[in-house]
Amino acid sequence: MLELERVAHVYGHTPVFRDISCRAAGGSITLLLGGNGAGKSTLLRIMAGLTRPSSGAVRFSGTSGKIGHLGHSTFVYPALTALENLTFWRDAHGLAETGDGMLKILDRVGLAARAHDRAGTFSRGMAQRLSLARVLLLEPDVLLLDEPDTGLDAASRALLRKELLEARGRGACVVLAGHGVARDAPPADRILLLERGGLAYDGPASSFFSPPAERACCA
Amino acid sequence: MLRMTLAVLRKDMTLTLLRSSGLAQALLLGLLLVFVFSLSQGAGESLSARNAAAVFWLSSAFCQVLIFNQLYALEETNDSRLGLILCPAPIQAVWLGKAIAGVALLLLAQCVFLPATVVFLGQDLAGPLRPALAILFLTDTGMCALGSLLGALAQGQTTRESLLGVVLFPLLTPLLLAGTGIGAQAFGDADPDGPGAWLGLAAAFDAIFLAAGLLLFAFLYGGEE
Repeated sequence: MLELERVAHVYGHTPVFRDISCRAAGGSITLLLGGNGAGKSTLLRIMAGLTRPSSGAVRFSGTSGKIGHLGHSTFVYPALTALENLTFWRDAHGLAETGDGMLKILDRVGLAARAHDRAGTFSRGMAQRLSLARVLLLEPDVLLLDEPDTGLDAASRALLRKELLEARGRGACVVLAGHGVARDAPPADRILLLERGGLAYDGPASSFFSPPAERACCA
Repeated sequence: MLRMTLAVLRKDMTLTLLRSSGLAQALLLGLLLVFVFSLSQGAGESLSARNAAAVFWLSSAFCQVLIFNQLYALEETNDSRLGLILCPAPIQAVWLGKAIAGVALLLLAQCVFLPATVVFLGQDLAGPLRPALAILFLTDTGMCALGSLLGALAQGQTTRESLLGVVLFPLLTPLLLAGTGIGAQAFGDADPDGPGAWLGLAAAFDAIFLAAGLLLFAFLYGGEE
């Protein structure tokens, strides 16, 4: 379980959000919603440990703390091939996946045929799929995704949805940030709505999508 | 930590030597320095052994600044630095991997600078070679331990990049002095005190820079903004 306790963050003198307390359970998908500048990416970075909150705490319980992050930054080295990229991240994370295993993962994201091509020759969507392959390789307990469908076509979004559902199925805690709910987005169990520097909604997705909240936030 | 260190080392060597312009820029800068100093001599003259050794180490120092700017710039594309921070191994593995890559690349560059110094500055490797090899290893180790630490400070920020040279050179002075002292002996300069004191000085600063790298790197390369 991922737990945030009274988390606040300030950029310079500008407060981004304050008093954010919430939980995201293992085996669930939490959708973090909010407009531009609401602080979704900052909150995800705080959850990942990439940014220290100005106050408050982030706690993990019942997990090994293995975090996967997929967002606007793909962490891809353009001069390495797709397979070399995965090999590097495997070694950096101390994993034991074999070369065949990594080729299978590349196959899952539709990049097996391009395994030996340099990532610099990939489109934005292909680079994002390679980034997804990196996350699949890690099999994280906590999966943090910042608008992961950026640049993805319909087939890739379907693949992402399938993989996120699988991650939820094996007990991972999935937190997905976005502006709204796309039609082909994975079904969320819980919604967090960031508005005016605080959590305007924290509850089950089923309650959130009943009017008038749906009209107010996700038109 | 060892596995991540080796992963960073392997990736950096692959990207630097096989997939980019490699050491060309750093080599050219060092060679230019040696060549410019060769112009200061008249026909038939040669630079003193101490001056030639100083030029060799200056070339190495400039080369090292470019090497570490290049090594840390590799992580800026697509924010790979954040991925490294999320790895379970201590982040010092990145510092160590890049420092070792820096030593290897600097040694490669010095394989070019040394003959250039001998040829263009009229030197002869007449002195004892064992202390010369020892100081080469010790000075390169210290320079790269510090370079890897300050490279993290300079990563991706143009204004900070200039900071790398400004901060680096004063801190490197003791190592460069030791390198020049023993380098002069290797080029045939007699020193009644021998190489012992210089080797001790270099080893002491290596220890300081290695400890500083281990202690401070996480603060410079962490995820904070």
